[in-house]
Amino acid sequence: MARVSDQPSMRPDASLPLERPVGGMLIAARSVFARSLGIILLIVAWEAVARSGSVTPFLLPTFTATMTRIWSDTLSGELLGNLGVTIYRSIAGFAIATVLGIALGTLMSRNRLVRWFFDPIISVGFPMPKIAFLPIVILWLGFYDVPKISMVAVEAIFPIVTATLIGIQGVERELLWSARNMGANEREVVWHVVMPAAFPQIMTGLQVALPIALIVAIVTEMLMGGYGVGGAMINASRLADSRGVFAGIVEIAVIGFVMVKCMALLRRRMLLWHQEAQDPTTV
Amino acid sequence: MTEQPQIVVDRVSHMYRPLNGRPVVALDDISLDIRPREFIALLGPSGCGKSTLLYLIGGFLPIEKGRITVADKPVASPGPDRGIVFQHFALFPWKTVRNNVLYGLERMRLPRKEREQRAQSFIDLVGLSGFEDSYPSQLSGGMKQRAAIARTLALDPAILLMDEPFGALDSQTRSLMQTELLNIWQRSPKTVIFVTHDVQEAVYLADRVAVMSARPGRIKTIVDTKFDKNDPEILKAKPFVEKVDELWRLVRIEALKVQERKGG
Amino acid sequence: MKTFVRYLPLLLLAVAWETVSRLGIVSSLVLPALSSVAQAWFALIKEPDFWSNTAASLYRAGSGLLLAIVVGAALGIAMAWWRPLNVLLSSVVEMFYPMPKTALIPVTALWLGFGDGSKILLIFLGCMLPVTLGAYNGARSSDRTLIWSSRSMGASRLRVLWDVVIPSAMPELLNGVRTALALSFILLVTSEQIVSRQGLGYLIGYLGANGSYDAMFAVVMTVAFLGFAADRLYQVLMQRALAWRE
Repeated sequence: MARVSDQPSMRPDASLPLERPVGGMLIAARSVFARSLGIILLIVAWEAVARSGSVTPFLLPTFTATMTRIWSDTLSGELLGNLGVTIYRSIAGFAIATVLGIALGTLMSRNRLVRWFFDPIISVGFPMPKIAFLPIVILWLGFYDVPKISMVAVEAIFPIVTATLIGIQGVERELLWSARNMGANEREVVWHVVMPAAFPQIMTGLQVALPIALIVAIVTEMLMGGYGVGGAMINASRLADSRGVFAGIVEIAVIGFVMVKCMALLRRRMLLWHQEAQDPTTV
Repeated sequence: MTEQPQIVVDRVSHMYRPLNGRPVVALDDISLDIRPREFIALLGPSGCGKSTLLYLIGGFLPIEKGRITVADKPVASPGPDRGIVFQHFALFPWKTVRNNVLYGLERMRLPRKEREQRAQSFIDLVGLSGFEDSYPSQLSGGMKQRAAIARTLALDPAILLMDEPFGALDSQTRSLMQTELLNIWQRSPKTVIFVTHDVQEAVYLADRVAVMSARPGRIKTIVDTKFDKNDPEILKAKPFVEKVDELWRLVRIEALKVQERKGG
Repeated sequence: MKTFVRYLPLLLLAVAWETVSRLGIVSSLVLPALSSVAQAWFALIKEPDFWSNTAASLYRAGSGLLLAIVVGAALGIAMAWWRPLNVLLSSVVEMFYPMPKTALIPVTALWLGFGDGSKILLIFLGCMLPVTLGAYNGARSSDRTLIWSSRSMGASRLRVLWDVVIPSAMPELLNGVRTALALSFILLVTSEQIVSRQGLGYLIGYLGANGSYDAMFAVVMTVAFLGFAADRLYQVLMQRALAWRE
């Protein structure tokens, strides 16, 4: 079965043990600065290269020009419109995937037949570029939102099912036995013991699925055109509107970043009681 | 004429600087003379800095305050003259036992035939004949530690640094390994610095035991523990048991301090 | 026998597909029968066009992936080894990790047009990140005692990098490559459908626009299968390379 990958964490303070760690209160201020340093330098480099004249403004519009474009799009309402549509599609698909995925994963963990039926489907389907099926999905479900949201759900459901299964199976036997020993009935065991114990793993699955949902939403928009950030980017590309394209990249990068951070925060909040509240585990 | 001490630790202090937290004094003004071919144990509760002292002598941590000299030369970096054996074996998991042992030998610039013979002789010495082509993941804890010891011994270091080497083994394996270590040491004596928190292990194995205090680590006392290791009944002999008791009392005080600090 | 039972559900689905389509429950336009898809596939592989498109796709994905692995791994390990590099690049990597790499499709098309170059660049840039991350995390997880043992046996700092850090990084690096492999398929298929005049992705769009739905289905299934097969094959190779693990 495919695995659920972990969050990147690349704090600059943590390098190989051959280095001597520096302590003190400077660490906090230093690390915030260090964290943003790369991005700041990247932006500066971007602007410098763009202005230097070594590439045409078409190939690389300046950072400022891109930001100006984003600003004007915000004012015109276009940015929010597109953003809203894309986020709507990804969240909708993600929500469907979450509900169905957790349900299916739970069912699979409890029922041999269901498990047998879906196991090869998941194992074979996971590594497939399911996006290849989009033309077929369009054939079935037409244009507009439905095929997009469906595609999002189909792609996002895989890591969620996998994580749910693994999470539930990973619940220690002793926990279940203790609960039953104390007189809990089956339903109580599932809701009060299994679900909370499996939650970190499930949460990891959700954290993996959300960026996937965003990616798929944008990809379907690019393939199908129309509204949405992806669609706007492709239109810009077709019209040789390089500022629009770069504006799109910045917007997408920011959305992606915000979504991931939100999930991480959510995870931390919900797993305060769990020892590994810090980072999700690898499977 | 008295023998020149091989290792001199002169007023060494060390600060431990965690990434998020205040620096802590790990070692406070430690001085120690270690004679050539002596088997000395560093004994103390967890966190007392005994491993830190070992790492400083090994050259793995920078010496900030004080000096450490080995054969009159100051310690600057790790080297094959001070072989190290870790608690969790530190074998290269992607290499077979033989290749692990050969690794150190490759630095020695011997002809290939000789390297292989040497490696084999040490693998045989620690009792792993037949397991040369096994990977560490296929070995038991005791076997892994033997492989680690073979690897370090193959370099023929004058000094052997051992950081709770038997701590990860079950008690039966541990006793077997202790006896084997003594056999090996008696056959080719080296200076051994042996870190442990097990009082009986320290008294049994070592000629001298340096008892360390809880953090900040200081040497409380150094006690002679030379007993007849070849006597099979030595662990029950009265002087031995009394010595263990004496040291246990000293260590216990320090161990309780550690408990209190943790608030339990 | 066990494998047969394990994959039986897929066979059942295939049968269901054929039945549903044959019986006309679903229009054969929307769901061509499995048998006619198979027929179309056999007809396709006889045409040189199919192979030239496949070759183009494989060439693009292969080159892009290879570059991504080499550069990505080197970068990841370098970041784990040299703190200044880490400080410089880690925030950049963290920023771009959650970004959907498909956002690069319009940009690379803008820069390099509709040909091979833009696809190779796309896959190179898009797939580099998981590899870098895997290499970085893997190198960072190097056991301190292994490094120290190595040093005490006379290895120089540089040798430690080669003897200890890189092998230690392998498991996570190879996992990162696996992610990159799956990502390369997605990027390839998508970009070929939008900004290309060649390749399997393009072929899918072309056949669809033409109304040759069973041929389109055939190519879609081929691509999906290739993605699956590549992953399985890679897993086997990975197991071999990491045989020393428990």
